[in-house]
Amino acid sequence: MNTLIHWWNLLGADGQHLVVMTAQIVAVMMSVIVSVAMMTYAERKVIGFIQVRIGPNQVRIFGLPFLKGLAQPFADVIKLLLKEVIVPAESDKFLFLLAPLIALVPALATWAVVPFSPDFVLAKLDAGLLYILALTSLGVYGIILAGWAANSKYALLGAMRSAAQIVAYEIAMGFALVGVLMAAGSLNLTEIVRAQSHGYASYVYPWQAAGFLSWNWFWLFPLMVVYFIAGIAETNRAPFDVAEGESEIVAGFHVEYSGATFATLFALPEYANMILVATLASVLFLGGWQSPFEGYLAADLPLASPSFLWLFLKILCFLFCFLWFRATFPRYRYDQIMRLGWKVFIPITLIWIGVECVMVWFKVGPWARVL
Amino acid sequence: MLTTILFYVFSAVLVGAALGVVLSRNPVHAALCLVLAFFNSAALWLLLEAEFLGIVLVLVYVGAVMVLFLFVVMMLDINVAQLREGFTRYAPLGAMVALLMIGEIVYAVWFRQLGVNLAGSAPALAPGSNTAALGELLYSKYMLPSELASVVLLVAIVAAIVLTLRRRPNLKQQDINAQVAVRSIDRVRIMKVDSVTRS
Amino acid sequence: MLANYLPVLIFLLVAGGFGGLLIVLGFVLGPRKPDSEKLSPYECGFEAFEDSRIKFDVRYYLVAILFILFDLEIAFLFPWAVSLHAIGRPGILSMVVFLTILLVGFIYEWKKGALEWD
Repeated sequence: MNTLIHWWNLLGADGQHLVVMTAQIVAVMMSVIVSVAMMTYAERKVIGFIQVRIGPNQVRIFGLPFLKGLAQPFADVIKLLLKEVIVPAESDKFLFLLAPLIALVPALATWAVVPFSPDFVLAKLDAGLLYILALTSLGVYGIILAGWAANSKYALLGAMRSAAQIVAYEIAMGFALVGVLMAAGSLNLTEIVRAQSHGYASYVYPWQAAGFLSWNWFWLFPLMVVYFIAGIAETNRAPFDVAEGESEIVAGFHVEYSGATFATLFALPEYANMILVATLASVLFLGGWQSPFEGYLAADLPLASPSFLWLFLKILCFLFCFLWFRATFPRYRYDQIMRLGWKVFIPITLIWIGVECVMVWFKVGPWARVL
Repeated sequence: MLTTILFYVFSAVLVGAALGVVLSRNPVHAALCLVLAFFNSAALWLLLEAEFLGIVLVLVYVGAVMVLFLFVVMMLDINVAQLREGFTRYAPLGAMVALLMIGEIVYAVWFRQLGVNLAGSAPALAPGSNTAALGELLYSKYMLPSELASVVLLVAIVAAIVLTLRRRPNLKQQDINAQVAVRSIDRVRIMKVDSVTRS
Repeated sequence: MLANYLPVLIFLLVAGGFGGLLIVLGFVLGPRKPDSEKLSPYECGFEAFEDSRIKFDVRYYLVAILFILFDLEIAFLFPWAVSLHAIGRPGILSMVVFLTILLVGFIYEWKKGALEWD
């Protein structure tokens, strides 16, 4: 113990800071990964219940008699790691193994700027939202490279479909983010959340904090819908999963991947991105860590105070929607997906940016004091 | 201290990646080296505290332009051997362009310095968001140039469509508006048929 | 400002290390029994009969080019949206002109059928 303290003191202030920071980063990353594991379990359970099945109910944690099935995702991880990693003979072997990494790193590194609570965020970037947009635009590389490197027709077809689709929805997403920026006046995610409680919004209402009514969804509802649906399309989830289309192109870009490379290329980034989209939708439109009852209940009540738990609840709601949609909607056809992205979402976002311009001009709503 | 180390690391990788672009035999590898080069230049810009520009470099060049490059390089089936044939023929021209570029860069950096004091450090940025500061300038003082940028983008849109759009003849398409607007009267005709009694 | 980017750099390194570790683990823990059938590209039971790197429709390039242009547009909109309070009404007017010019391009695309997928 004493030697540990001795070493700790030897590090100096900068070194200690660095160690703490790295520990925080590893902690955040591990929580994301565990959430991914739980998400795969929740997906199978929720869709199971929607389809009147039970879902996984066998694997238990250390054989404990309760919580049957909860250990299923961990068993899956171990199974995937113990499987053979197949590298196709005619593939570009270096790129084939690099593609999973390229898919994984942006999906995890985006979490550096997510504000989890009023004072916990790993990197307080002034350009946080821009950073997120830039990193999510890199996700397409993992898919294109995986599809091309494998030297398989299905993989290439899936990769091309997926790339064109991601690209189309990214624009709608970007325009929706511009709408949020107009309301928040900052690219910093913490500021965006703050602006939703006592920023421009509070000037509109007779009471100081208006809880859930002062969040962005109230004025930017169409943008929230566009953002979330574009997020579903961006992560290649059902009903926008033609890129996988197991009934026509077997599995799309990851058809040649197996074992650990499959886990890093497909499972981890896809689910991490899903959770990220849900988190960002909560942060940008539903007030992040803020309590919906702020201003309605006495300020010292736990129900009315900001907390990470509120963010967690909001994320869960959005994640449930992901699963719900998957269980409900039939898969879109490719031309329908492209039409929705280019001809419906982009016009909606453009129109709403115009509406916001008018509101700023005439000092309506949360924009009363902008000019 | 750390900044200096990072500067040398990023610059070294940048130079290596740029060499990779030129030297690699596989066009896809070359394109990926270019991606790496863009990344490192973005990192260098970040080191200069040009936050917005650095991230936009990643967003636009890596996230969009290089995706197009990769599409083209992967799918156009470029025959490398055929390209090599022209190498000696185009080498003098290429060398001339390269020399011209080097000359321009040396001239700009060495003699003109472009009004920037290269020896000293750049002037300190005003505190606050880099992006907002840029926006303030771009949409007040430099309003006209930014409008011109939109005209350039418009020209690019029109050019892209004129160059690449090919309508395939006798192609059947789903017309969603027509589908939605359809009335039962257009599709179903109810005929009055007299019943026949069997005698 | 640079200090804010240190966590990002560390995160990128940690995430890359984690991904690399997973792949290495897969190689170490998993069996290695390759055979020519296993290593051939999957083609629903057929022998692969053509090079799989096929030429694609020019439409994909058009989508990619249009994406670049709209991405640039977003890059122009971001600084505008965060500096609204400083640039005021002239700023809004200039963006209205900017977007109107691009709207012309968007309508042109639409009418020409460049957004249609067949």
